[in-house]
Amino acid sequence: MSCSPFDLRDYLLQELTGPQRTEVEAHVHSCPSCRLEMERLRLTQTALASLADEEMPRRIGFVSDQVFAVSPWRRWWAAFWGSAARLGFASAAMLSVALIVFATSRAAPAPRVVETVTGVSDAEVQQRLDSAVQRASAAIEARYLQRTEQLVKDIELRDRAERGVIRAQAQEQIDFQQRLLQAAKRSQYVASTNDGGPR
Amino acid sequence: MIFRAVEDADLIQRAAKGDVEAYNLLVSHWEKPMYNYLLRMTGNREDALDLTQDVLLKAYQNLGKLAEPGRFAPWLYRIAHNEAYSMFRKRRPESDVDDMAPRPAGMGVTVGGSAVFPIELSLSVASALERLSPDQREAVVLKIYRGFKFEEMAEILDCPVSTVKSRLYTALDLLKEELAPLEARGVS
Repeated sequence: MSCSPFDLRDYLLQELTGPQRTEVEAHVHSCPSCRLEMERLRLTQTALASLADEEMPRRIGFVSDQVFAVSPWRRWWAAFWGSAARLGFASAAMLSVALIVFATSRAAPAPRVVETVTGVSDAEVQQRLDSAVQRASAAIEARYLQRTEQLVKDIELRDRAERGVIRAQAQEQIDFQQRLLQAAKRSQYVASTNDGGPR
Repeated sequence: MIFRAVEDADLIQRAAKGDVEAYNLLVSHWEKPMYNYLLRMTGNREDALDLTQDVLLKAYQNLGKLAEPGRFAPWLYRIAHNEAYSMFRKRRPESDVDDMAPRPAGMGVTVGGSAVFPIELSLSVASALERLSPDQREAVVLKIYRGFKFEEMAEILDCPVSTVKSRLYTALDLLKEELAPLEARGVS
């Protein structure tokens, strides 16, 4: 187990920063066990380095062939999706268009008037408030009075009309009864003349 | 290295637009490291060569999806990792890839039973690598032989950095036990 401030393998694998490397070197200089461990790691690294890359059995080359070639449209599409910047720009453009369409297709809201009252005492405010309440209540009363008068007039008119109708219906009934009575009298008279007539 | 990266970025952009010659130039930069990575993974030259071709063809067809040309290497090795494991699963569908039995010790990388590395140390190293699990071996190859950073390895292997470190450290400890005494004896 190494007591080095940083992993000795990271040192050999070039994964430490300059100051970290310096710290490890100072420690290894003064620590026999870490120095031995470092030596074994170096030997391992040297042994691994002895395995050189092989040459290719044959070189690889490509020819322009439509079978393997990607179509320009597919290439453009792949490049488009592969590029975060282009995709982001397209998204921003679509969002802008959506905002413009939304803004132009919707009526602008009416400007809101904000009244600011400055330099008015509480008494004046109360007075204005009272007068406003009075005006409002007077207007309401007047409106109710007018509506009541109109209702009374309507009821009277309707009552008068209904009475006329009832009177006319009663008159019709009376006339009908009278006609029935007269008809009955005539039929009675005819019967009597038939019974007591010339035999 | 910086000039190579800039040149590769330019080649990637041209190849993404359909320039096959630019892609061939890019292939010439990457085919050998890719072949050797796959050779360490599969232990077979023919498989490694076939997979290298498949990987580079797939990369060409999907270059448009590569958002950052600077991330080409991890992206390419991610494809290679997937292709290699896909082949493992096709060959041994009934067993877990991680449980695949290592090759017999001391055989080295072979084609038709003949050893590829004549030097004893190289043979021992190849043998020691093959005794590792596929995950551990891949971690060693990506770090020691291909020089990727932990974050890039995590991207290629699609796992957390902590998992990458764990695999690599375990592998290094095993290799140290086998190779350090050998080296100390002055075999090389």
